[in-house]
Amino acid sequence: MSAAGGGPTITLDGVSRWFGNVVAVNEISFELSAGVTGLLGPNGAGKSTLLHMLSGFLEPSAGSVTVLGGSPWCNPALYRHVGLVPEREAVYGHLTGYEFVLLSARLQGLADPRGAARRAIEEVDLGAAATRTTGGYSKGMKQRIKVAAALVHDPTVLLLDEPFNGADPRQRLHMTELFQRLATEGRTILFSSHILEEVERLAERVLVIVAGRLAASGDFREIRRLMTDAPHTFVLRTSDDRRLAAALVAHESVVGVEVGNELLTVRTSQLGAFARAAPVIARDAAVSIHELRPTDESLEGVFSYLVNR
Amino acid sequence: MTGIILRLTLRQMLGRGRTILIGLLALLPVLVALVYRLGSQDTEQQEWAATVLLDGFVVTTLLPLAALVYGTAALGVEIEDGTAVYLLSKPILRRRIVLAKITASWMVTTATVLSSGLVAGAIALYDKPKAGILLGFGVGILLGGLVYSALFVMLSVVTSRALIAGLIYVFIWEGLVNGLFAGTRLLSVRHYTLGVADWFVDLPPSAFDAALDPATALVLMVVFGAAATWYADRRLQRFEIGETT
Repeated sequence: MSAAGGGPTITLDGVSRWFGNVVAVNEISFELSAGVTGLLGPNGAGKSTLLHMLSGFLEPSAGSVTVLGGSPWCNPALYRHVGLVPEREAVYGHLTGYEFVLLSARLQGLADPRGAARRAIEEVDLGAAATRTTGGYSKGMKQRIKVAAALVHDPTVLLLDEPFNGADPRQRLHMTELFQRLATEGRTILFSSHILEEVERLAERVLVIVAGRLAASGDFREIRRLMTDAPHTFVLRTSDDRRLAAALVAHESVVGVEVGNELLTVRTSQLGAFARAAPVIARDAAVSIHELRPTDESLEGVFSYLVNR
Repeated sequence: MTGIILRLTLRQMLGRGRTILIGLLALLPVLVALVYRLGSQDTEQQEWAATVLLDGFVVTTLLPLAALVYGTAALGVEIEDGTAVYLLSKPILRRRIVLAKITASWMVTTATVLSSGLVAGAIALYDKPKAGILLGFGVGILLGGLVYSALFVMLSVVTSRALIAGLIYVFIWEGLVNGLFAGTRLLSVRHYTLGVADWFVDLPPSAFDAALDPATALVLMVVFGAAATWYADRRLQRFEIGETT
């Protein structure tokens, strides 16, 4: 099953979900078609709630969710075409990796479950560990066997909740290539992450969700530009804070400086321009920069900027 | 499809410490029967075997506890640890999942309780007519185990505190309230079990007399078991992974 004529495979229209008086997802609308889309946001932003609604494990409090033309809520038949990788690490620890994927293949009612299970395990490069019980798997291996189980029936839509958790760099690269290949074959892949670099590496499109609201959506480069233009604050340790502060404040990218406690704090509205200008300005002022670090260690500040802009 | 889930559930349940716990509990009626045989026996062997051993130890204690442990574990453990999503995200009617879980719980429960009850009864009634008593309690345990399993699987879908809710049902409702108010026995799996057993037990009413007549007990068993299964299916169809899971 696929969206007719390359139309949207996933549609959300004014979807909200609340738990008691806590609004987890607030009036979100978007459409997705084939390709890889990253669902980006800080922890607790509502990413998992959104994925649970898309996978039929939560009923929207308001609005409508449509996957492959039907509502996923109370619609088990849809799982023939949807693969789901949940965030929780738990797998059937008493089953081997092969048995776990074979179970999925059998529950999907596939004609050749053994062959499908073997192929799916090879896809995630876990053939060598397939005969070991999953209870002894590392976190990254559990993630990969969950991906294999979700892929075993060749789904049109793949929903992944933090799929790179616990994966080492080699495993991340392998899964990134796998998801990109699956997307080029016409599948719709939506994955959540709170790590910008992960989304940047894999997704063509991005949905930024903050505090239950859709803060931004679209082409990743455009979102990246918006994020880059968000105000950033840097802390510098230099050989002469006052002289460098005087030189920096004249640059158009700098919106404020503060000297104190043997530290120079600089606020910039243009990250790229500041990054290019700072070393040049310091050299011209004959000041040595010993340390330069951003104060926004998390993405929270950038996310807030996107929401409020 | 149901068979696949049934095998998975049996493998999960039999590989755990709970099987050892219930196995040890199942030895208790056998040990009591042995002690009874070795000690001074009165002339009311059949009455003792029916009322004290098979009713008191097996039907009132072992059967609900075994069903409670297995019934709440059959699906409850998967819901609790998050693995239930691997069953629920498949194109399977939720009814099939519920039926497989109830069947798994029933098979393990009755295998344990029936073997314990029959061995204990055979020991206690070694030199006495015992066919009617053993047949009656055997059929009662088979059917009662099924209804208890349906009830406890349903509880595990409805609440994350299924074990506590089940203990309250067994010890407060069946153990206390049923003794104080006769009308409440209409909602007691224990009394359904004893009612069905009474159909076959060939003892005078002065020796063994169930509170419910066999036909009423059987009808109520069917209604109660079907209602529990239906409600479990309904709740599982609308099962949500919330913020708390």
